[in-house]
Amino acid sequence: MNLFDFQLLPYHEKIDTLYEQGVYLGKRKMDDLTVLLYQLDGYYIEIFYKKHRCYVTKVNVFSSTSLLDPYLDQIAVEPFVYTK
Amino acid sequence: MTQSITPKNIVVYADDDPDDLELVQDAFAQYSNNVEVVSFIDGISALSWLQSLSPFDPKPCLVILDVNMPVLNGKEVLIRIRQLENFESLPVVLFTTSSQPQDKSFAAQYGAGFVTKPLDIKQMEIITDQFINHCAEEIRNKIRRQVQ
Repeated sequence: MNLFDFQLLPYHEKIDTLYEQGVYLGKRKMDDLTVLLYQLDGYYIEIFYKKHRCYVTKVNVFSSTSLLDPYLDQIAVEPFVYTK
Repeated sequence: MTQSITPKNIVVYADDDPDDLELVQDAFAQYSNNVEVVSFIDGISALSWLQSLSPFDPKPCLVILDVNMPVLNGKEVLIRIRQLENFESLPVVLFTTSSQPQDKSFAAQYGAGFVTKPLDIKQMEIITDQFINHCAEEIRNKIRRQVQ
């Protein structure tokens, strides 16, 4: 499913699609919100929670990798580092 | 007149994410008369606790393991639990952000359930039910009677 089709889904279908197919990438805190980052078919989805994994306040869909910066410190790069 | 106090059913939960620990504690709060959630922030602590149980201690009715944990991850804990005497058939669930088929197969290979972490309150309610479904029939009936 491409980014535009995903954006057109009703809320519960977005959540169910992510639950079944999304790949979890990371988590960050923003004020009193918890934000989870998922990847799906080459784009990214942030879910903003008022209560962690329960009450969603916003779903943000994007493809730009520049928005991944807040999560980069959590991603382990060792498996990708070439060693002789 | 004497009154007997039935011990609570113990659910062991290991996860390094404090938000997820709180989430599961809250999910079982409705069963608090019958269920006590014993939480650990890593797999090795959960495993040590299980190993410290004497044959006379009540076994937990369910062990929930996050997959991605430092030191000893959920899969490694599951393998070690299955190597412990009398824990071969202990109900265990891998609780993870992953929905990868290979993780599901791994859980099945070691006789464990597999539950993906929820994304909203509706899914959390379903998942709590799935957790209880993994307990022995007598225990899950007892747990559910409380909220009827």
